[in-house]
Amino acid sequence: MSEILNTLMQDARVWQGHQHIRTNQPAEPTGYQALDNQLGGVGWPRGALSECLLDAPGIGELQLLLPLMQRMSHSGKTVFWVNPPHTPYAPAFAREGVNLDQVILINTEDEGDLLWTLENCLRSPVTGLVMVWPGKLAAREIRRLQLAAEAGSNVCVLFRERRYAEQNSPAALRLELAPGDHQDLSVNVLKRRGSWPGQCCSLAMHHRADLAFQEAPRVVQGPWSGRAG
Amino acid sequence: MLWLYLHFPHLLLDHIRRSRENPGALAVVEGSGQKVIQACPQARAQGVRAGMRLKTAISLAPELGMVRADHQQEARILEDQARWLYRYAAHIVLVPPDGLLAEVGSLQRLYGGLQAVWQTVEQGLNERQLNAWIGIGHTPLAARLIARTGKGECTADKGHILRALGQMCLLAAEFEDKTRARLQRIGLNTLGEVLALPSNELARRLSPETLAYVQKIQGNRADPKTPWHPPHYFHQQIDFAQEVEQSQGLLFSLQRTLSELEEDLCWRQQDTDSLLLVLQHRHEEPTRLRVRTSGPEHRSETFLNLIRLRLEQQPLRAPVISLVLSVRRFLGREAGAGRDLLGETQDLNEAWHTLISRLQARLGEAALQQLSPQADHRPERAWSASEVLRRPGTRLPDYTQLPRRPLWLLKGPQPLTAAPSRWFSGPERISGGWWDGQRVHRDYYIAQLESGQLAWVFRDVRDGWFVHGWFG
Repeated sequence: MSEILNTLMQDARVWQGHQHIRTNQPAEPTGYQALDNQLGGVGWPRGALSECLLDAPGIGELQLLLPLMQRMSHSGKTVFWVNPPHTPYAPAFAREGVNLDQVILINTEDEGDLLWTLENCLRSPVTGLVMVWPGKLAAREIRRLQLAAEAGSNVCVLFRERRYAEQNSPAALRLELAPGDHQDLSVNVLKRRGSWPGQCCSLAMHHRADLAFQEAPRVVQGPWSGRAG
Repeated sequence: MLWLYLHFPHLLLDHIRRSRENPGALAVVEGSGQKVIQACPQARAQGVRAGMRLKTAISLAPELGMVRADHQQEARILEDQARWLYRYAAHIVLVPPDGLLAEVGSLQRLYGGLQAVWQTVEQGLNERQLNAWIGIGHTPLAARLIARTGKGECTADKGHILRALGQMCLLAAEFEDKTRARLQRIGLNTLGEVLALPSNELARRLSPETLAYVQKIQGNRADPKTPWHPPHYFHQQIDFAQEVEQSQGLLFSLQRTLSELEEDLCWRQQDTDSLLLVLQHRHEEPTRLRVRTSGPEHRSETFLNLIRLRLEQQPLRAPVISLVLSVRRFLGREAGAGRDLLGETQDLNEAWHTLISRLQARLGEAALQQLSPQADHRPERAWSASEVLRRPGTRLPDYTQLPRRPLWLLKGPQPLTAAPSRWFSGPERISGGWWDGQRVHRDYYIAQLESGQLAWVFRDVRDGWFVHGWFG
């Protein structure tokens, strides 16, 4: 009996109050040490869904996934972008060292196609990472995707609006992303397996635009200041 | 030389019967639709005979399926059979409308005896659900005559063949009507008696053509035949006796054709990546479906799954009367690379092609895209999207010299509605496009908006401010 209990404890399938246990679930490092520390030292869970909840693009949300994309595309795994709101800009990704041959962009027309596509991608052994901008999803459908991700043991990241933070979701990891004061990205862990949620950390993201970290940015004065807007 | 002749007594009937789901009585009627020409065993059991008037036949078997005889169609079906026979024999001659001739003397060593050749052919006929009478003779004509009597024997012995020919009556020997009447008037009844006549007498009393015919049967005169060569494409037509309204019905008959394609590809050691499926309707333009796989493929199961997906997406417009499957593009087959000896690890290359083909079949080929940078200064032209074609290699050009760009590019520049809260860098002037009329003259800045988004904004030549990308 105690043996079963021990395995349950070690697999972090049972919550034990404040104890933080390093889970031995399969995971992919995020590439950001500060975030990895908050996520039990491992990173993005494999074979499970992760959610990133954010209000608007352009706060460093892709930069957050860039190390994983680089690693996956170079290890011969395919990275799928499903229904992105804007165009992933090829020259920028090429410059960052993402192997674009392994990146496939998919646009689906209706929700049925979307779920079917995701399930197929998630179950395939060639997939490394699936990034989805799903729009509206019912909890039942997220559960379906969760099962597909488990079957294929792949990383799947859903980008959803921040208002879904209050709603319940079967995803294994939920991160709330918000812009920080110094072009950084503040990450709030809403849910994760094996521990209490509520950790916060701030990741420096100013390098995404080659901005030198500076308190007062040097404003280039010019004729535009009066006319903008 | 030894010849094998295949006589198909009712080829059209077999062709239609084997692609039918429910085996019912079936008959082939004459072009004018008055007479039954061929009847299948079920129809014969109900009393339908060849040569019977159609009305009589229908009253005997009310459920009788009818197919109108069509010579072009028959010729095409015969060619299908020749393509199949070509796997076993190199020298094939088409004998329209219902015969195939193959030189088998040279095959005996390959197959280990004439008996083995015979069995191979017979087995193939059974697999293809075809009825054929086989005959072997030392000349093409002898083989044909023996086959058409339906008493073919597996022997290479010339004496035996001549004896069999000798017992044949004049009608079976296929003399012209006039010649046959004259021979009968002389008092000859079997082919053997004609063969026994001295040749100069035969030429003098009858005609030189008759002599030539007899000599060709005997093998004393050359009877050259031009061999048939298979065309380099796969083409098969399925004709339905009843119109098919459900795609399920199409899939059933496609299954057989696709497995024949698989076998054909297997014999050629080739793969293909595109199939063309043409569905003929009675009153409408034919539907053309191009089914593409993302990589070389030969398995019928994969093709069938892709076609099923396509048909699910695209319901039939009208009932289908016939269906043509053709393949014109062949690729050399390569051995699966990433496979280990015991076949335990999955072949990733294959899995990739399967996944992409499935997605393309359901979503359409344009729904999947691959991105690549292009050499252009204008941001909206510095990238391109292309269809996913094949699994890429891992060779990478060096892109580290490219300028800093945002990870998101907007599908079109959006007007900047409020002044940014902070400006970071700029201006970066991008000017170009005078060479193709798509003129761009902009100053780009990196700025942070009130919402915290880091934007790539520009001011164009008319002083308008736009957001063109997000530093995501």
